[in-house]
Amino acid sequence: MLDKNAIGRASPPTLNEVEKGAIRRFAEAIGDYNPIYYDEEYARASGYPTIVAPPTFPASFHSAADLRELLGVGIKSLLHAEQGFDYERPIFAGDRIYVSTRVSDVFERPNMSGKMDIAVIEDEGRDEEGNLVFRARRTLVVRAAKENV
Amino acid sequence: MPARKLYFESIRVGDELPALAKAPVDRVQLSRYAGASGDYNPVHVDELYAKSVGMPSVYAPGMLVMGMLGQLISDWARGGQLRRYNVRFIKMVWPGDTVVCKGRVSDRHGSGGRYFVEIDLWAENQKGELVMKGGSQIQLFYSLEDENRQRSGQSPIVVEVPRESLVVQAPQASTSEAASSSSAPTAPEEEGDEDEDSDEPRTGASSKKTAPREKPAAKTASLPAAKKAKK
Repeated sequence: MLDKNAIGRASPPTLNEVEKGAIRRFAEAIGDYNPIYYDEEYARASGYPTIVAPPTFPASFHSAADLRELLGVGIKSLLHAEQGFDYERPIFAGDRIYVSTRVSDVFERPNMSGKMDIAVIEDEGRDEEGNLVFRARRTLVVRAAKENV
Repeated sequence: MPARKLYFESIRVGDELPALAKAPVDRVQLSRYAGASGDYNPVHVDELYAKSVGMPSVYAPGMLVMGMLGQLISDWARGGQLRRYNVRFIKMVWPGDTVVCKGRVSDRHGSGGRYFVEIDLWAENQKGELVMKGGSQIQLFYSLEDENRQRSGQSPIVVEVPRESLVVQAPQASTSEAASSSSAPTAPEEEGDEDEDSDEPRTGASSKKTAPREKPAAKTASLPAAKKAKK
């Protein structure tokens, strides 16, 4: 059973600089060759100020969060059950985004073999003026290190 | 030349997005994704490690498949702005698997000059098994004229468009839930099948129950308001 006190624990904001090369490699890894991710002129002609990042690009951002520390357990495994993003605006090459991570919920959910621990982790990205750019929300099934699996 | 843009006025509830069949996943792609995302979890890149923890091989991170489904959205909604995108991971994707991404418009609405469509999204493997399902909200200009007005600093075209959801009756919904969970066993992500917490903005709640594999379901809503488009 995860410690309910973990709810609300957060990591300090960490700067992520959005680089064109990082966007290109991310889009290539997905196999998505939409020119708005590669070609500045094309992106502008499509109505964007510059190269755009794909919707799941925030998955590549890092934050100072150590989930073990935030959740207060040694972790044997984490299973990613759900993921959601809310976007205030697209993310562009050149953006400087501060990402912080917060435990938004922990709870138990019954499953076939008893109960499992669920943690909901939220990331928030803000620009240098403090404006919200995106929120991301991960639902994880947490197996603590001592548990037998 | 940028592709033609998508406008709200041309979208109808029940419209299907053109399916996107991705190239088969291979281990090189898993490595590239690990490098690009910074997620070096060895279950995705280290075959020996994956086997040591009881997996038949490495497997694709859920976020890679979410990225593929994201491509479906971006390819379709050119000129739109993605507002929300969420998924549930249902079944693992292995090297050699081909992911096919599909979607359908489940709702459209607009007020105060802002227009939104909601889409149901899902991904299948080459056996037609559901590997991921989710939804998305996209904001669009009403029309080319609306876009031109707004880009030149004028006020948007305002048309009140009430919600027009794909309506699914309760019994149908439960049948479809059963169908999708029976096709979605093995993955450790299976718990995602339960209805749960989600304080995600659940606007088109009823549409969530739409079975992804159904045919484009009877849409009950007519499209009255949209016809009143002002010039």
